[in-house]
Amino acid sequence: MEEVEKREEGGNDGMLEGGVEVRVLVVDDSPVDRRIVEGLLKKSGAMFQVTSVDSGKRAMEVLGLSEDKTKSPVVDGQKVDIILTDYCMPEMTGYDLLKAVKERSCKKPIPVIVMSSENEPQRINRCRAIGAEDFIIKPLQTNDVLRLRSYARTGPPPPPPPPPPSSSKAGTKRKMTIELMAEAAAVDRKDAGRALPGWRWRDSNHRHRTSAIGSLSYCNY
Amino acid sequence: MSLMALRERLNVLVNSMFLEGLLDQQFRQLQMLQDASSPGFVAEVITLFCEDSERMLTELTKLLDQAVVDYQKVDAYVHQLKGSSSSVGAQNVKLACIQFKQFCEENNKEGCLSALNMVKHQYYSLRSKFDTMLQLEQRIQAYDSEQQN
Repeated sequence: MEEVEKREEGGNDGMLEGGVEVRVLVVDDSPVDRRIVEGLLKKSGAMFQVTSVDSGKRAMEVLGLSEDKTKSPVVDGQKVDIILTDYCMPEMTGYDLLKAVKERSCKKPIPVIVMSSENEPQRINRCRAIGAEDFIIKPLQTNDVLRLRSYARTGPPPPPPPPPPSSSKAGTKRKMTIELMAEAAAVDRKDAGRALPGWRWRDSNHRHRTSAIGSLSYCNY
Repeated sequence: MSLMALRERLNVLVNSMFLEGLLDQQFRQLQMLQDASSPGFVAEVITLFCEDSERMLTELTKLLDQAVVDYQKVDAYVHQLKGSSSSVGAQNVKLACIQFKQFCEENNKEGCLSALNMVKHQYYSLRSKFDTMLQLEQRIQAYDSEQQN
């Protein structure tokens, strides 16, 4: 099994002047995809510090959320700003990881973005329902990683969404109702390229759709 | 051969691969990620892809050689191979994997065997062109580092 890879990207010792480096944990069992995502994050110019692991289990260890108390975290769980995880992985899927992270880091939930080659509404909704911040269709493109920064815990807060007509909700945290998210996404589709928060899943790259129904893979749900 | 001639040869090769459908636009994305700070990025990804693919093709051959085929395992490997070929822009390999998945879902052993052969055929065609590409890249890099000295 591969060791944890750490890549410091960008100049200025990795720090953006006046800004903060965003620490991304990439989880993907494919070495090809891991390397490509690292390359994308580096090239985006958004000053990411990337750690990549090849399994959900390893991700849990790195985050300090592992059941096994003897595994000391390589990276302090508090020091990961975003988790970018593949959905289809053996043993612990991206969904399992998402669930575990949301359950166990509930005081300061770490944003989790799920990647998948399958454009399946059911899958996307399942992830969304348990708190995934976004869902990206593979293969990843440059503009997919550009909006990652807006999800970072330490990044500047994104512009607040317009309040719904009859909302009694107040608060400074970025909490969006499902309706707001859908609304933001609808607005977002018209303004492609603007990094608005909310649900977007794109498959503009998919020229050859596959039928995922009845798939026998280990993530056939 | 001059640096310019090497670059020209590489361009001609890559363009022909696009025209023949060996590569799609995703490969262009990878090329765009290569720059002065990561001059070997494309070569690195191609190498990873080839190692990974050959490992999976070996496993798939073993699995389909069994009297009773474990289609779930076969599908898992084909899914992975489809994913990585999609990520690097290896179009023909990806398309062959899609066909393969279909036969897998039908638990069709004959279909799977012929699909595996097709995937191998597409992969090895691509592989030989990737090899040439990597050699050209290396020679170009050598020039560039010479010029910096």
